[in-house]
Amino acid sequence: MTRLAFEHVTFRYPATEAPALEDVSLEVMGGEVVALVGSVGAGASTLLLVAGDLAPRVVGGRIEGHVTFEGPGPRGIVLPTPWTQLSGMAFTVWDEVAFGPANLGLPRDEIVRRVDHAVARLGLEDLGSRDPTTLSGGELQRVIVAGILAMRPTLLLLDEPTAELDSVGARSLWELVRMLASEGTAIIVATSELDALPAVADRVVWLERGRVAATGPAALLASDVLVVANLGTTVAAVWRAAGLPSPYPLTVAQAAQRWERR
Amino acid sequence: MPIRLLVLIPVAAAISLALSAAVDAVALPLFLDTTGTILATALGGPVVGIATGVVTSAVNSLRNPTFWPFVTVQIIVALYAWIAARAGLFRSFKTAVPAGFGLGVIAALTSTPISYLVFGCTTTGGIALTTALGKALGLPPLGACFFGSFVADFGDKAVTFALVTSVLHGLPRRTAARFPWALRAIGAA
Amino acid sequence: MTQLHPFTLLAIAGALPALAWILPSPAGGLSTAAVALGLAIAARSFRTAVFTAAPFWLFLLLLHDVPTTIAIGLRLTTMVASFVWVVAALPAPRLVEAMVAAGWSASVAYVFAATLSAAPVLRARARRIADAQRCRGLSPRGGLAQRLRALRALALPLILSALHEVDERALALETRRLVPGARRTPLSPPSDPPGQRIARWGLVAACAAALAWRLK
Repeated sequence: MTRLAFEHVTFRYPATEAPALEDVSLEVMGGEVVALVGSVGAGASTLLLVAGDLAPRVVGGRIEGHVTFEGPGPRGIVLPTPWTQLSGMAFTVWDEVAFGPANLGLPRDEIVRRVDHAVARLGLEDLGSRDPTTLSGGELQRVIVAGILAMRPTLLLLDEPTAELDSVGARSLWELVRMLASEGTAIIVATSELDALPAVADRVVWLERGRVAATGPAALLASDVLVVANLGTTVAAVWRAAGLPSPYPLTVAQAAQRWERR
Repeated sequence: MPIRLLVLIPVAAAISLALSAAVDAVALPLFLDTTGTILATALGGPVVGIATGVVTSAVNSLRNPTFWPFVTVQIIVALYAWIAARAGLFRSFKTAVPAGFGLGVIAALTSTPISYLVFGCTTTGGIALTTALGKALGLPPLGACFFGSFVADFGDKAVTFALVTSVLHGLPRRTAARFPWALRAIGAA
Repeated sequence: MTQLHPFTLLAIAGALPALAWILPSPAGGLSTAAVALGLAIAARSFRTAVFTAAPFWLFLLLLHDVPTTIAIGLRLTTMVASFVWVVAALPAPRLVEAMVAAGWSASVAYVFAATLSAAPVLRARARRIADAQRCRGLSPRGGLAQRLRALRALALPLILSALHEVDERALALETRRLVPGARRTPLSPPSDPPGQRIARWGLVAACAAALAWRLK
């Protein structure tokens, strides 16, 4: 069973005094989708790097507290800017997706199986022989996600995964996230696309200046404190702005229901 | 070698290769093809610098085969840059530009034999013409060849050193701290 | 020809210029140049070879007498034609796969391949920065100091943004498990029949023998 646990983790980047994460405690199990919300620089990306064993190992810096990861498979992280995540060693999309599995030293037929599966999941069949440097931002984002999925991670970390995607692409991605969770993957996603979260996230963690300010189910996004901080769903924000009473509705469906009952 | 330094090599080599576009835009007779090598050395040490130099030459040779024999020059440039970085010579233009001129002399001394033996001093049109000028001025063949290489290298290396100094000082502290040699090169360590 | 193993192609492209230098001129240079140009014709890059080599002949005539010009000119033509041929006949991905299949460290293959893909991206970015600065009044006119300042305004953003990406690229490679020194699974290794391997070593031996004979 996959498990990631943060116990009172404080992390500082190199040559910086102010902590990027302060006294963060968190537990994520396989099959859960945890969403990180917060203003820019609140520490969501840093948390993902620490969860992915990239900070401080690759990034440098100092860490206090404990991070525990138990899982049958690896952890994989998808960072926000797709073009910097290209391997640089692959000249076709198929090879790009195969980059991770090939590095793991897997036998060739296993690689082919995994890559074909990942390519199909992300709808990339038509792009298989294209040169990755000729793809659009959205296509590239999907290729990168496929590349990570081909490694069969049991902990998947996503940093703004829909930033480059249009609404159709974003919807597919969120569906994929739910599907992966139902297969047992533990998923932590940092996103500013708050409206998608009620259907996707089991839990929401609000980060403010490196600290966990609040945590709870997705309904947290309709709570007063988050809506005031501009971190609620659009519907909740509009409801509040219209001067209507709390509790604010989380989704459009809820808002329609409450409106009917007025 | 940590991944960060490994990644630096192709990025630095690509910088050298891409700067030719910048040079054309300002119409200056420079190469700047050792910028990446010097920068990589100042950030990551001599091994990274030499690797960058070799890769720059290899990829440059794909477009123009005449670059390959001068890979030795790139290696010498990396070694010189290492000495300069250790001495903190990138701390200001006042120390960097003279160091760059010094490299210009050494680079010319290194490339002259290659130019002479492999190309008969016709490495580029410019070098061929300045060599002819040198011969006309009565210099012996090797001396005329050196004259040709020198005129090309002298200013180029000084500008490169100045550029690398600007870059090193322009790096945010957090980024510079991640490269083992960067702070020492600007005399801040 | 494209079916040959990449290392074989490289061996030929290396042996021809080596022999051009080792063997006595003009017969040696003439034969190697002829072979190299023949290969270039086969790879449909004859014109590139000729146009790249031609200026050298011109400048050589300017500086040297005819026998020297011919000697050096033939050697340079061999080198240019061999390189142009191998670039046309050997696509980079095939070479990278050959390196991986031969057990070369992942780092070496990575460094070479990544430079090939990063260079055009940075060049395009340089052009975009140049365009942007031109809108701000950058021009190739003016005195030396002005042009140097303009150069700085072009080069600095390009270099700093590229360096900033080094960290992100390192993170991405780490998460995808590129370990320096580890062996990757080759995805489409080029075939390397023993005949070719023998032929490669044969070429090396031929060059060594020619060198020994020449030095006698």
